[in-house]
Amino acid sequence: MRLSTEFIAGVIAGGILGYIVDHLFGSKPWGMIVMVMLGFVTGIYNVMRVSGFSGRKTEKDPRQES
Amino acid sequence: MAVSIDPIHQFELQPLVTLGHIGKQQLAFTQSALYMFAAVGIIALLTIVATAGRSVVPGRLQSLAETLYEFIADTVHQATGADGKRFLPLVFSLFMFVLILNLLGMIPYAFAVTSHLIVTFGLALVVILTVVIYGVAKHGTHFLGVFVPSGVPKPLLLIMVPIEIVSFLSRPISLSVRLFANILAGHIALKIFAFFVVQLLVAGAWGVLSPLPLALTIALTALEFLVAALQAYVFATLTAVYLADALHPGH
Repeated sequence: MRLSTEFIAGVIAGGILGYIVDHLFGSKPWGMIVMVMLGFVTGIYNVMRVSGFSGRKTEKDPRQES
Repeated sequence: MAVSIDPIHQFELQPLVTLGHIGKQQLAFTQSALYMFAAVGIIALLTIVATAGRSVVPGRLQSLAETLYEFIADTVHQATGADGKRFLPLVFSLFMFVLILNLLGMIPYAFAVTSHLIVTFGLALVVILTVVIYGVAKHGTHFLGVFVPSGVPKPLLLIMVPIEIVSFLSRPISLSVRLFANILAGHIALKIFAFFVVQLLVAGAWGVLSPLPLALTIALTALEFLVAALQAYVFATLTAVYLADALHPGH
């Protein structure tokens, strides 16, 4: 639950950002495509950080699951 | 199967007092708002009244309030360091609010306020706006150091900085969705398993099996109490972690 929300949040944030970029610059599909891909990357990065896979310890949470 | 059930029905907002309309949108004092006021009342009772005695040897209520306070003070101190103390009231309020709302939602027939995304998102926005406003006010442009991870080779920064920006923007989303999803899923699961008992009982011979979902419902209830307390704690911890960024950007 903890990790999945972390991943989904990244994708959603990318999607919202992409929508805003498209809306502002009229670059219809491209902002969304790039930003959602960036969102996926961010989601994976978030999960790695939270699960302690990467070296950074800033967001270490005593509880990992549920 | 004469009986039918809607596990979502418990989350419906029921207006108690209608205050007026904006366009077609009804403005109403719903049971959700009532529960929030009740939660604030309980928290005030627990913290103000319980500690009013200020006895050296605390009574039951006072020691409960003191334990909760010490617990959150420890969490904030660990996450943010000595100068994080100024955020203790914020984190403590958020923790108590979420905890009491979660626990109120566990009372049978009560309404779980935190099962609404907009409520949790509002709380998450408070946290993130505090981080941004305090960070910019204290550090100015230096606050942008949040987006630059330390110890990363220069060329990689080209990729890492956009990732960090999206990661920062995803924080209020993950913070709110986690709490909301846990509470919503838990309440729906409880309702469905509890309904299996009824369904098996009306299905004639299958009624022999009905103790199975009943046992599961009891186990799930215990689990939901754990989740209620845990999610409040996780919310408070992550709030403290994010506030640490506002205090020390660019670690």
